[in-house]
Amino acid sequence: MTKQHPAWSPYDNNGGTCVAIAGADYCVTAADTRMSTGYSILSRDYSKIIKLADKCVMASSGFQADVKALQKLLAARHLIYQHQHNKQMSCPAMGQLLSNTLYYKRFFPYYSFNVLGGLDNEGKGCVYTYDAVGSYERVGYSSQGSGSTLIMPFLDNQLKSPSPLLLPAQDAVTPLSEAEAVDLVKTCFASATERDIYTGDKLEIVVLNKDGIHREYMELRKD
Amino acid sequence: MLLRPLSWVQLQLGVVLAVEKRINSPLLEPSSVEKIKEIDEHIGCAMSGLIADARTLVEHARVETQNHRFSYGEPMTVESTTQALCDLVLRFGEGDEESMSRPFGVSLLIAGSDENGPSLYYTDPSGTFWQCNAKAIGSGSEGADSSLQEQYNKDLTLQEAETIALSILKQVMEEKATPNNVHIARVAPTYHLYTPSEVEAVINRPMSIRRKSSLKILPWLQRCFFSSLQCKCTSLFVC
Amino acid sequence: MESIQAKQGLVGPNDPIQRTQLPYVTGTSVVALKYKDGILMAADMGGSYGSTIRYKSVERIKPIGKHSLLGASGEISDFQELLRNLDELILYDNMWDDGNSLGPKELHSYLTRVMYNRRNKFDPLWNSLVLGGVKNGQKYLGMVSMIGVNFEDSHVATGFGNHLARPILRDEWHENLSYEDGVKLLEKCMRVLLYRDRSAVNKLQIAKITEEGTTISQPYALKTFWGFTAFQNPTAGAEGSW
Repeated sequence: MTKQHPAWSPYDNNGGTCVAIAGADYCVTAADTRMSTGYSILSRDYSKIIKLADKCVMASSGFQADVKALQKLLAARHLIYQHQHNKQMSCPAMGQLLSNTLYYKRFFPYYSFNVLGGLDNEGKGCVYTYDAVGSYERVGYSSQGSGSTLIMPFLDNQLKSPSPLLLPAQDAVTPLSEAEAVDLVKTCFASATERDIYTGDKLEIVVLNKDGIHREYMELRKD
Repeated sequence: MLLRPLSWVQLQLGVVLAVEKRINSPLLEPSSVEKIKEIDEHIGCAMSGLIADARTLVEHARVETQNHRFSYGEPMTVESTTQALCDLVLRFGEGDEESMSRPFGVSLLIAGSDENGPSLYYTDPSGTFWQCNAKAIGSGSEGADSSLQEQYNKDLTLQEAETIALSILKQVMEEKATPNNVHIARVAPTYHLYTPSEVEAVINRPMSIRRKSSLKILPWLQRCFFSSLQCKCTSLFVC
Repeated sequence: MESIQAKQGLVGPNDPIQRTQLPYVTGTSVVALKYKDGILMAADMGGSYGSTIRYKSVERIKPIGKHSLLGASGEISDFQELLRNLDELILYDNMWDDGNSLGPKELHSYLTRVMYNRRNKFDPLWNSLVLGGVKNGQKYLGMVSMIGVNFEDSHVATGFGNHLARPILRDEWHENLSYEDGVKLLEKCMRVLLYRDRSAVNKLQIAKITEEGTTISQPYALKTFWGFTAFQNPTAGAEGSW
């Protein structure tokens, strides 16, 4: 038998699920607050959502250390942007910056799975969804992270968004009201928590609309 | 080469730049003299002074605006572009090796249109910049500037701006204005350098229309979201 | 092939870069919690060389600056190197003589970057670190892993502690723990770890940090009872091939 060495990997998966839904004049972004490693829970109250600009929030799951590095980088880039251009970065601009930032590490990627939620220059809800190396797309709603396989098909079924192949392009925002979208997100997480061991403890919901930003929480299963 | 004066007027719908380029030899090919250049789709630039220096600056601004589009997927604002240019002007060039021992000997009028509407900036060789409603630079700029002060008002249509810019330009020109020695460009809200026939149309416009301070907006102007500026410039070559 | 004697030093200029690919001497769990007046932290003093318990008096909790306590599990030498770096950091910060000092929040953030940067170089510090402290009436308790994963919580534990101690802490911890109750709770955790973690030794230190300062206890042992029938005959009731 060969000798067993302790081994290390530069990556870990700390789990977590993120969802964002864009409406005509709002955007709902949500994520659970559980942080795990393997079968262990590291923390039951770790926020995965950060505010990047006045009208832009990012929810991230994956490898927490990479996520933190990414968040710090984007925060710094946004500060520089404000100094250079005397304005807040728009959500579409942050979307492009995030894509570039992820692709910059194409060959040693940030193991992070992000959704960007916010309002665009017209005040319409916008959601950008990413893979770990920067491919991105503007959509009406999206889910990323460990529970996304459970949530995404449910959202597809409920929101029936127009096909992206339609010509001329159809508006991707959902027809739901803000309150309906928040309820839908709560249902998604309550369900995902039943089957995904990496999702649970608490749900954090960030709503962006013309009145500003507002956060609310809902308890989830802790097992 | 040294450039003479430049003047322009800012309007609700866009910006107009006008320059005189002095063709001091019949052997000179007029189309090879460029004094209005495009920086990006939404920004144009007229120059007075050392044109070779301006080319370096315009090239730098083009790189800055394209980098901004790459990084953020949005056009760079006119003010930020102007600031980026002035950063270079203050450094006398890029890097330690390439930087020059003298300032950039050129003044620029940077006309553009962004989310804040149309705007005009004026930069000088010190690296300072100002935002203006109307401005003339170059050898006949004092006279042109005072004419602009008299004739500018913010309700000018783009067509009136063209007319005013051209008439002020003609006042300070020694030669008769022709499509060969006058260049006009507009940013309303995208950059367009007038073809010789478009310039000719402005030159041949009857004085009555030129002088009329009508508030009527042409149909094509109604489509433009931003206001316009006008700028004229005569040029003098010192070879 | 070049002979070993021909080399001038242990590492020649053309040798491949050497990194810690596996830990040598390691410490096991650290457990820490917030209590009424500050932070309490516990760690045993064993130093394991693979499965051999090679050292029995390793100090794995150290004060950093005026407001913080650092506890480490994992490679002892990496921890000791880190302590030297932190000493220098604190010294240079102190030399500004501006009345400012690094608090636990700042140190935790710093450690987070150190650990993450080393993992980016594929040359990690083989530790899980616990940082606790009090500054300006604010209690702070956080953790950093070998690859930079980091978080704050009311109670934390590294390694086996996360499996065995944290469930106890989640049951019994509350915001208003007194010092005595905090120590009792930590001892309960350490006793479970002593029974179930084979690299744990019965010689531990408990450290306390409050606004007033840091106290690290003298090493002491826990009372144990090994007479449980399940300990004496662990296979009773579960007979199998061995």
